Amino acid sequence: MLTVSVKWQKELFPKVEIDTSQPPYLFKCQLYDLTGVPPERQKIMVKGGLLKDDADWAKVGVKEGQKLMMMGTADEVIKAPEKGPVFAEDMPEEEQVVAVGHSAGLVNLGNTCYMNSTIQCLHFAPELKSALIKYLPSVRSNEVDLSTHQLTVATRELFNELDKNVKPVAPMRFLTDAEECWTQLLYTLSLSLKSTSSSEGADAVKRLFGIDLVSRVHCAESGEESTESESVYSLKCHISQEVNHLHEGLKHGLKSELEKASPSLGRSAIYTKDSRINDLPRYLTVQFVRFFWKRETNQKAKILRKVDYPLELDVHDFCSDDLRKRLEVPRRVLRDEEGKKLGLKTSGSSSTSTTKDIKMTDAEEPLNVREESSKSEPEQGTTPEKEQHLTGIYDLVAVLTHKGRSADSGHYVAWVKQENGKWIQFDDDNPIPQREEDIIRLSGGGDWHMAYICMYKARCVSM
Amino acid sequence: MAPAESNNGTGGIAGDGVAKDQASVKVPSKDPKKKDEKKDEDLSEEDLALKQQLELYVERVQDSDPGLQKVALESMRNLAGEIAQEYGKRQVEETSIDDLMDLVVQIVAFHMKHNAEPEAVDLLMEVEDLDLLVEHVDSTNYKRTCLYLTSSAKYLPGPDDMLVLDIAHTIYMKFEEYPRALQIALYLDNMQYVKQLFTTCNDLKKKQQFCFILARHGITFELDEEMCADDEEREALLEIISNSKLNEGYLALARDIEVMEPKSPDDIYKAHLLDGRGSGGGTVDSARQNLAATFVNAFVNAGFGQDKLMTASSETSTGGSSTSWLFKNKEHGKASAAASLGMILLWDVDSGLAQLDKYFHSTDTHVIAGALLGVGIVNCNVQNDCDPALALLADYIDKEDPSTRIGAIMGLGLAYAGSQNEQIRSKLTPILGDSKDSLDVIAFTAIALGLVYVGSCNEEVAQAIIFALMDRSESEFGEPLTRLLSLGLGLLYLGKQENVEATLEVSKTFNEKIRKHCDMTLLSCAYAGTGNVLKVQHFLGQCANHLEKGETYQGPAVLGIAMVAMAEELGLEMAIRSLEHLLQYGEQNIRRAVPLALGLLCVSNPKVNVMDTLSRLSHDTDTEVAMAAIIALGLIGAGTNNARIAGMLRNLSSYYYKDASLLFCVRIAQGLVHMGKGLLTLSPYHSERFLLSPTALAGLVTMLHACLDMKAIILGKYHYVLYFLVLAMQPRMLMTVDENLKPLSVPVRVGQAVDVVGQAGRPKTITGFQTHSTPVLLSAGDRAELATEKYIPLSPILEGFVILKENPEYRDEQ
Repeated sequence: MLTVSVKWQKELFPKVEIDTSQPPYLFKCQLYDLTGVPPERQKIMVKGGLLKDDADWAKVGVKEGQKLMMMGTADEVIKAPEKGPVFAEDMPEEEQVVAVGHSAGLVNLGNTCYMNSTIQCLHFAPELKSALIKYLPSVRSNEVDLSTHQLTVATRELFNELDKNVKPVAPMRFLTDAEECWTQLLYTLSLSLKSTSSSEGADAVKRLFGIDLVSRVHCAESGEESTESESVYSLKCHISQEVNHLHEGLKHGLKSELEKASPSLGRSAIYTKDSRINDLPRYLTVQFVRFFWKRETNQKAKILRKVDYPLELDVHDFCSDDLRKRLEVPRRVLRDEEGKKLGLKTSGSSSTSTTKDIKMTDAEEPLNVREESSKSEPEQGTTPEKEQHLTGIYDLVAVLTHKGRSADSGHYVAWVKQENGKWIQFDDDNPIPQREEDIIRLSGGGDWHMAYICMYKARCVSM
Repeated sequence: MAPAESNNGTGGIAGDGVAKDQASVKVPSKDPKKKDEKKDEDLSEEDLALKQQLELYVERVQDSDPGLQKVALESMRNLAGEIAQEYGKRQVEETSIDDLMDLVVQIVAFHMKHNAEPEAVDLLMEVEDLDLLVEHVDSTNYKRTCLYLTSSAKYLPGPDDMLVLDIAHTIYMKFEEYPRALQIALYLDNMQYVKQLFTTCNDLKKKQQFCFILARHGITFELDEEMCADDEEREALLEIISNSKLNEGYLALARDIEVMEPKSPDDIYKAHLLDGRGSGGGTVDSARQNLAATFVNAFVNAGFGQDKLMTASSETSTGGSSTSWLFKNKEHGKASAAASLGMILLWDVDSGLAQLDKYFHSTDTHVIAGALLGVGIVNCNVQNDCDPALALLADYIDKEDPSTRIGAIMGLGLAYAGSQNEQIRSKLTPILGDSKDSLDVIAFTAIALGLVYVGSCNEEVAQAIIFALMDRSESEFGEPLTRLLSLGLGLLYLGKQENVEATLEVSKTFNEKIRKHCDMTLLSCAYAGTGNVLKVQHFLGQCANHLEKGETYQGPAVLGIAMVAMAEELGLEMAIRSLEHLLQYGEQNIRRAVPLALGLLCVSNPKVNVMDTLSRLSHDTDTEVAMAAIIALGLIGAGTNNARIAGMLRNLSSYYYKDASLLFCVRIAQGLVHMGKGLLTLSPYHSERFLLSPTALAGLVTMLHACLDMKAIILGKYHYVLYFLVLAMQPRMLMTVDENLKPLSVPVRVGQAVDVVGQAGRPKTITGFQTHSTPVLLSAGDRAELATEKYIPLSPILEGFVILKENPEYRDEQ
C-alpha cells in the first residue's frame, strides 16, 4: 500500500491509497469516485509519462507521498457541428458579391470613364435592370434599328455581368461627354424597351426616368399666353452668379427666355417660358449645366462654381398645381410615418434617420428586391406599384462627377449608394468605399471631383 | 573625499571608456618631440624621473590647499597616460614592468580614494591587471566601480569584456551585493557562479529573490541539497523558479489595473471609428478573417483565463452557436484555434490542461494538433514537477498524421525551451534522420530541438540537424521550410560566439543553395546580443552583394544586423540608421527583411522614428515589404496599447480591406499591439536592459525567420508559428511582495532611466517620474525606485517580482 496525493485541476486530494497489488485501473476507479471523471478519460501523469491501465506499479516507480497529477474532465466532448460554416473563400465568385457588399468595377478601355460612370449610376436602378432582363436579345421588333438593338442587348448583358462578378468587368461590347452618353443610352433604351413592353402599355424607361413638364409661355409685351407640355429625362440645374444651391439652379433651369415670332405683334418678341413638373419619375435625374460653349474662345468651358445639393430633395416647389394636389395625401402619410418613427426613437440624430429612411424605402418597395425575384414573377413589378405613391421627396442615390478644368479633359467617376446603404466610388475598375459626408463634398468649387449628374430616387408611400 | 569631487565632475563624466583613454593619452602629447626621444633614452632614468614626479604629486595632494589638488589630479592623469604608453612599449620589448606596476598601484590607490574610479579602471585595463582593483575598492566606491566596469564591458573586444565582468562579479561577491552578482553570473552564463551564490548566501529571503530573477531569465536551474539544505525551503524555492507564481502575479496586476473584462476582436478592431469603410458585409464568414480573429483573441486575452470566443463556450453549457468558434475556422485553422485556448490560459497549467482536455477526444486531427500545441503553450516558461507536457505530448510524436505530429513537436519545443531535456532529445532526434518523414515535420523538429537546447552548443543535436540538412533532396533546398532547419542549428549556438566556428566549417560543405543562408543564420545567432560591430559590418557587407537568382541569404543577414546590434542603445541607434540606408539602396529581398529587423530592434519599444519608417513602408508597392512592415508595427507596439500605432493599423485595415492577405497581417499586428491588454512585453531584455533571455530571443527570431517568407508560412498553413512569440511574452510589471510572498502595495516612483555611469556623487537615476503604488506597469526604458523608506528591496533592480523587507531603522514620523 502506498499513499500519494493527487492534484486535479485546482483541487488536491491528499492521502489517496494505492493498492500496488491491483492494476492501476482500480486506482483510476478510486479517482472516479473522487472526481467524477470516468477512468477512460483520466490521464495520470507520473514523471515523464502517462499511467497505463495495465501497467505494473513496481515499474512505474511511484514513491510514498508522491504528488501525482491527473488531467481529465467529464465535460462533453467537442463535436464538429453537422453543418460547417460556409467560408467566403470557398464560394463561387457570383456569391462573393453579396459578401463584398458592392458590385464590380468597369475596366477603362481608353477614355471610357464617362461611360463607365454612367453605367454604374444607371445600374443602380433595379427597375431598369428588370426591364432589361425582359428584353429578349433574340427578338428584335421592326421599330428598332439594328444599332439600337445591339446597344440594348449589350447593356443588358453588361448589367448581368456586373451583378455576378467581384472582379472588374470590361465593358467590351460598348461605344465624350457623360451627359450625352447618359441621354443617348436612356433614349436608346426607351426606344427598344418601349417596343417590347408595349403589352404592358407603359414605357419602362419613361416611367422610371421621364419627367413631364408643363410650360407656360408668356409674352410680357403682348400678354400672349400658351401652354405646352414636354417630356424630358433630366432636370437642368443652371449655374449662374446667384446660384449656390441645387434648388436655386433648378428654379433657374425651369425658367427660360426665348425669342420667337409673336403672331400678335408681328415681330419677334421675348417670351418667358415657365415650366412646372406635371409628372414625377421614379428616378429623378438632375444635370448640372457645368459645360457651356464659350463664344470668345470657341471652346467648351467648365463652370467650377460650388453648387450644394442635398441628400434629400423635395421638388414640391417645382410642381404644377395639379401634381401638388395629387401629392398632398401621400406627403401627409409620409410625414405621419416619419413623425411616428421619430416619436418612437427619440434619439433620432440626422445620420440615423437617413439610414432609417433608406431602410424604409427598401422595405416598402418590393421592386427593390434583386433581379431574380422579378425575373421569376414578371407581373410583380407592376401590380404592387399601383399602390405606391410618389411623394415628391427624393433621396440621392448616385452622383456622376467630373474632375478637371475643362470639358474635353479630366476624369468621370460614379459614386453610387449600394442597397446596404454604403456609398461606393466606382473609379473605373476600382470600387472604393466612401463615407456619406464625402458625397456632399462633391459640390464643386475646387479641383476635386464635382457633381455633374445627380440621380435621385423617389421616396414612396404605400397606401 | 569631498574636495576632489568638483574636479572629478569635470574630467570624469564621459561614460565611455574608450573616449577617456583617448583623452588621457592625448594630454601628454603636449610635447611630441619628447615622446619620440623617449624611445632612445635610457628607460630606468626616465622611470626615476617619473617616480620623483609622482612623489611630488602625492605631497601636493596631501597639501591642505584644494587648488593644488586640482593640479595634482590633472598631472596624475598625464602620468597614467604615460604609464600606459610605456607599458605598451615594454610589452613589445618584453622587458620587466615591475617598477611600472609599483607606480600603478600608487596611482590606483590614489584615484580610488578620490572618487576617480573610472580613471583607475582605465589605467588597470591599460596595464592588463584588473585584479589589483579588488584590493582597492571599499564599501563607498564599489558600486560606482562596478557600474563603470559593467557598462564598459559592452564596448570591449574579445575576452577582455568577460574579464572585466569577472572582476565586477568578484567585487560584488566581496561586498555581498548578491543580486548584482547574480546578474553578472547570468550575463556570463556561468552556472558555477550561480551555484556559488546559493551556497554562500544563507538568507532564505534573498535566495527567493534570486529565484525570481532566475525565473524571469527563463533558464532551467537545478537546485540541489548543497545549495539549500532544508527540504521545505528548497520546495519553496523550486516553486518560484518554476514560475508557478507568474500567473497569480499577472492576474493580481490585471485586477489592480481593472482589465479583467475579456475583450473580443471587434473591441480591438474598433471598426466603428472607420465608418463606411469597415470590414465587408459581415454576413459571410471568411476563413482567413476568422483565423485572424482567433489570433487576435488569443494575444489580447493571453493569460487572463477568460475570453469571448474560446472559453465562453465551456461556461454556457447549452453550447449552441458559441461552441463552434473552433469550427468557424477552416482545416489547419482549427489547430490554431484550439491552441489559442492554451494562450488564453497561459502559465496556468492546472486549469489550462483541464480546459484543453476536451479537445483530446476530438476526431478531427487538426483539433488534436491544436490541443497538443496548446499544452505546450500553457507550459511555456513554467515548469511543473509532474511534467504533464512531456507525458501528454510524447505519445503523439510518432502518430501518422503530420499535423498532429507537428502540434506535439512544437508543443514540446515551447514547453521545454532552454531545459536541455535529455528525454526530449532522445525522442526527437530519430525524426530528423527518418527519410520518410515529410519536410514540415523535420523542420519543426529541428526548431523544437533548437529551442530545447538553445545556446547549449550540444554536439549531438547539432550532428542530427546537420545530417538532416545534408539528406535533403535538391528540390527541397528551395523550400522555405528547409531554411528553418538551419535556424534550428543556429539556435543551438545562440549568443555563444566563437563556439560556432566548427559548425560554420561544416556548413561550407552543404548544398550551395542553402550554404550561404545557413552561414548567415549561424553567424547571426552566435553573435546575437553581443553588439559585435565587426559582425554587423560583415552582415552589411553581405547585403551589398548582388544576388544571383534564387539565393535567400540576405534575409537572415539583415535580421542578423538587428540580432547583433540590439545589445546596447548606441549600436541599436546606429543599426537603425544602417537599415535606413539598406532600404534606400538595397534590393527587394533586402527591403523585405528590413522592417522585420526594425521590429526586432525596437520590440515592445515604439520609437517614433521607427514607427514613421514602418508606417511609410506599410504602404509600399511591394506587398511583401508592406506585410513585413505591418507585422513589425505590431512587434514594436507589442503589449503597449500604443494609441498611435493602433490608429495607424486601423487606417491600414480600411486601406487594405480588399486584400485578404494584407488585412490578415493588419489584424495580427492589432492583436500584438493590444497583447495581454497592454500588460505584456515581448522584449527579451530585462533587468535594466542588461540581461537577455535566450529563450525569449529564440522565440522572436524563429517567428521573424518564418516571416521572411510570409506567403509560404504565415499566410500558408503554418500560421501557428506566430505562437513562438509566447516564449518572449512576459508581464511588464513591478510586483512587490512581502516576506511571505504576499502582494504588498507600496509607493514607487517610475520614470525614464538615466545613464549615471561615471557620474560623480549620487545622481538621480530616473527623470520625469510619477509616483504610483505597486503593482505598476513599466514601459521600455522605465526604471522604478521605492518612494518610501519603510521597506528595503532585496534586489536593487525593481522589475518583475521584488521581495521587500521592513527597514529596521525606519521610524514613523508621527
